[in-house]
Amino acid sequence: MNGLSVHFERVSKVYPHFTLDDISLELPTGTIMGLIGANGAGKSTTIRILMGLVHQDQGRVHVLGRDMPGEQAAAKRDIGFVSEDMRLYGSATLAWHMKFIQSIYPQWDQPYAETLLGRFDLKPQQKIKGLSHGQRVKAALLLALARRTRLLVLDEPTTGLDPVARQEVLGELMAVLADEDRTILFSSHNTLDVEQISDQITFIDRGRIIASDDKERFLDRWRRLRLALLPEAVLPRLPGVVEVGGSGRLPVLVTNRFDPAMVSACNDAGATVQAVDPMTLEEIFVANVHSRRENLTL
Amino acid sequence: MLPTCTAEGKTSPYELRDGEATHFERLVLATLGDSRLSLAGIVATLGIIATGGKVAFLIGLILLITVIISIGAQMAVSPIVTERKEQTLSFVMSLPISYREYTACKVWGNLIIFLVPWLTMLLGSFGLLLLSPGSRGLLPYAAIMSTEILLSTCLILAVALITESQGWTVAAIMVGNLGVNGIGYVVAHIAGIAKGMWGPTIQWSGAASAVLGVEFSTIALLLGLAFFVQAKKKDFL
Repeated sequence: MNGLSVHFERVSKVYPHFTLDDISLELPTGTIMGLIGANGAGKSTTIRILMGLVHQDQGRVHVLGRDMPGEQAAAKRDIGFVSEDMRLYGSATLAWHMKFIQSIYPQWDQPYAETLLGRFDLKPQQKIKGLSHGQRVKAALLLALARRTRLLVLDEPTTGLDPVARQEVLGELMAVLADEDRTILFSSHNTLDVEQISDQITFIDRGRIIASDDKERFLDRWRRLRLALLPEAVLPRLPGVVEVGGSGRLPVLVTNRFDPAMVSACNDAGATVQAVDPMTLEEIFVANVHSRRENLTL
Repeated sequence: MLPTCTAEGKTSPYELRDGEATHFERLVLATLGDSRLSLAGIVATLGIIATGGKVAFLIGLILLITVIISIGAQMAVSPIVTERKEQTLSFVMSLPISYREYTACKVWGNLIIFLVPWLTMLLGSFGLLLLSPGSRGLLPYAAIMSTEILLSTCLILAVALITESQGWTVAAIMVGNLGVNGIGYVVAHIAGIAKGMWGPTIQWSGAASAVLGVEFSTIALLLGLAFFVQAKKKDFL
């Protein structure tokens, strides 16, 4: 368990209309993992199991060396958690919440909390029910960040935020990343947000993890190849092709194992490589999902 | 108990000055703040009873029961059902507490807070009965009915905790309220209790002890059931 902040071993959870199936996940200490999936893919269930708020039916979960859900109370002393559906007490002020959290977490960093108040433009005496959605998210983030916990778990924190608030939140998260001992799990269906701050990416779809790797490796290995086939030439067999599109003489391939040697292999086979396009994380995610779903239906 | 927690301002019951209250005291004060009207109702009702007479006593008793049941219902609905409805539960459960601690906090916190108006009612009723020489025979009946109200509150609390559903909790409030009225009628007609009920002296019978025993056993059963079901829950959000 050394070096791992989060470790899922073959975790499953069955609901009447959804199954989280055989999830294995490792999150090394000091890394920022982006958990990307469509709505209903299983991100929140995975995170709730991680937090000990939902019990897995099968498999083992270790968080900061603690067995979950059995040792959830001890583990949560070192976890800052914010989820999209989390609400603070509407009748109380942000100052009340800050004092409340401060009384529970001895490592609470009051100067940092006050800095965040300024950066997020929050007023401590304002009641939570008077805050906008963006301000509420920022207030919840402030309460999580100033705890100075070893693990931050953020479930869709940027959902519903306007572009300015989103950038403020992401900017603060990036500042937090300067601390190499802190580990962050960040879930979102917005790949742009995840791409900005994560160094590890995990794709989840229909309750299963379909890919998990370093962000850079994803971006390096996924390419779209635009080919032009000579008359009577056939499409060369290339490694890692997950999608074939385009027209008959102008095919477009998507590969997850791109190697520059592929270009010469194509030329040798009578297929001119007109362009090798890098792919965005969103394109990689969508291609991954389509590829897996097609394989399942075959 | 958690360390002292403070906030500035005093515009809401949550907001207390530095060093003024612990979390527990804050919770009690907040709930009492919300229940000020109810407490005023108890005192006013005791005043009606104090005027003497059978009609005044019956009217006062009905009002008293209504006020106390309302307080019990409010305490169950406000911090338990509303917590899920308003999505503050995920905030609470993100803190370093277990399900067992959450349940214990809700059960004991609510009960202790409820005991403030309940004991006010109990001691007030006993005081009035003892000060009215002609009504002392009602004391066993008052003890049974007070315990029945406590039982009704525990029923509402247990249902609210187990189901976390507003619908089921409202149903429990109705059952609890009907139960108090029904039990009140039945107990008043039990021979061993009815015999000296309107007399000038306290006549504690075996029947009264048996009814109280059943009531306290049911309270223990309901609270035990709430803890048991909570411990078995697999999904807390």
